[in-house]
Amino acid sequence: MATTSTLTQQKKPERSLSPWQIARKKFLKNKLAMISSVFIILVTLLSLAAPFLAPYLSSIPDVSKVNISSMNITPNSEHWLGTDKSGRDVLTRLLYGGRISLLVGFSATVLVISIGTLVGSIAGFFGGVVDSVLMRFTDFVLNFPFLVFVIVLNTILMGIVDGLWVLIIVIGLLSWGGVARLVRSKVLAEKENEYIMAALSIGCSPFKVIVKHLLPNVMSTIIVQATLIFASMIVVESALSYLGFGVPQSTPSWGNMLSSANEPDVLQGKQWIWMPPALVIIFTILSINFIGEGLKDALNPKSLR
Amino acid sequence: MTTRDFIQERIDSLQNRDVLLEVQNLKTYYPVTGGFFKRVVGNVKAVDDVSFSVRKGETLGLVGESGCGKSTTGRTILRLLKPTDGKILFEGKDITKISGSRLQKARRDFQMVFQDPYASLNPMQMVGDIVAEPILNYEKRSRKELEPEIKKLLTRVGLPEEAYYKYAHEFSGGQRQRIGIARALALNPKLIVADEPVSALDVSVQSQVLNLLKELQIEFDLTYLFIAHDLSVVKHMSDRIGVMYLGNLVELASNRDLYREPLHPYTQALISAIPEPNTAIKKERIVLKGDVPSPQNPPTGCPFHTRCPMAMEVCSKDKPLLTEVRPGHHVACHLY
Repeated sequence: MATTSTLTQQKKPERSLSPWQIARKKFLKNKLAMISSVFIILVTLLSLAAPFLAPYLSSIPDVSKVNISSMNITPNSEHWLGTDKSGRDVLTRLLYGGRISLLVGFSATVLVISIGTLVGSIAGFFGGVVDSVLMRFTDFVLNFPFLVFVIVLNTILMGIVDGLWVLIIVIGLLSWGGVARLVRSKVLAEKENEYIMAALSIGCSPFKVIVKHLLPNVMSTIIVQATLIFASMIVVESALSYLGFGVPQSTPSWGNMLSSANEPDVLQGKQWIWMPPALVIIFTILSINFIGEGLKDALNPKSLR
Repeated sequence: MTTRDFIQERIDSLQNRDVLLEVQNLKTYYPVTGGFFKRVVGNVKAVDDVSFSVRKGETLGLVGESGCGKSTTGRTILRLLKPTDGKILFEGKDITKISGSRLQKARRDFQMVFQDPYASLNPMQMVGDIVAEPILNYEKRSRKELEPEIKKLLTRVGLPEEAYYKYAHEFSGGQRQRIGIARALALNPKLIVADEPVSALDVSVQSQVLNLLKELQIEFDLTYLFIAHDLSVVKHMSDRIGVMYLGNLVELASNRDLYREPLHPYTQALISAIPEPNTAIKKERIVLKGDVPSPQNPPTGCPFHTRCPMAMEVCSKDKPLLTEVRPGHHVACHLY
């Protein structure tokens, strides 16, 4: 018997694409997802640049001061989107609001995904008693009446932490249940594969097995879930601010801007005040969802698009 | 030198070597839970009182039909499953009860080649990383530094050097199994448990992988616990063979003795089922009646008595123990 069993060798000088690189390639080909990405990036950049842009956009760059001399001006060349009932420029407020809404959405998403992934992967990997305890706790959190808790916790924490971060923490602590369940179910399915047992047999610690072997393989699900949660977090922020339990009224956010539509007079007669934030919220959420959809296709090895 | 002399020489040389692995009365039960509070209502006795030993450099084959507990035996020996009872001695050291970081350290010396080449490699890892990972787990070395070593190992198992930069999905089943073998070899272990390493491969590829395993055994002085359900594969690979039925080891003999003169009725039935390529030879086929009983509720006495063509009254009462009836030939049967 020959000592070497050679296989047909193909000379390929360059490295193979990693699964992530393949996904990126597929994502870049998805038109709708790309348009959405451009939109989100544009909104984010404009919001981030708000303090620099504001002086050029209107004569009243201050977004929190009441300005009696310029109340309820319809859109014109000076105020592109008009001013609201307190005499503040709507476009400037929209940009500043984006900072807050996107920050709340993003931070809450990071918090939700972190807690959910941590709890879900530990419960799924170790199973048994650990799983039972963690998942019962998750059920417990999922059963909290969301609105009531947000309002109560918000009030309790309000004095201690900065208003904005109270909201982020409260939303984050109350919304990770679904992610934990999803990650756990994915981990349960994935850990049955022999490569997890192989990882243990080559001397990986349980922690390393979770971080290096399990999580990369459930990451696609987590990423897709994160985009969807990002969208819903923006909605939650807007809804809470609209109700008056979200971001403090003095801080402009898309939700706070919408709440001016509370008054029938504004809702019916002064559409320029509430239409812009409403449209921005709708398009942002749509875009995020399209991106999520695109990521789902790109990360799914079975889809060929 | 004829083949027979060659085999005899190998048997003699193995006789003088130390015992590497000793398994004493190993039992692995899977608990069956039921009811609202998930109480344990029974046990699936996957491995029920199995004892054997493996010498250094030897290949012990384990055969049996699916569900007889051969894979569970292999995994329990590597402590990937928790043994219910019994002892596993590796180089004289008891590894049955160790856990945590001590177990992790001990694992360096025994590795596994897995059955499913499609599921046993992490799809997110580059092949080079898959093979380097065991070394990185035990030694403080950089990935860069290891690269030439890993490439050498990949060429040794018959893969091109460029495989280092590829991902598992770009390879065929046989090539993936070679990656799995390279991973098991990376730490230069003493014992390799090969759990049906070729059962998922094409017949043409099977022989390549088997021959690779044989070459590596001589080159690295490896000891194999070779698990398979294919009798001809086991015959090709093993020095000694253990036959398992329903979690029990029913016969343990040298390769030659087992195929020439099987003693246990179950082994006789198994060997009669091997197709004979020479049509001139008329073989008598022993066909067993019935199905394998449930391991959750195994029959009393001899586990095989429900299907045994030679069952006696005593068989349903007393469980026969594995005894040496001829030199080196152990069988668990009341007939001997």
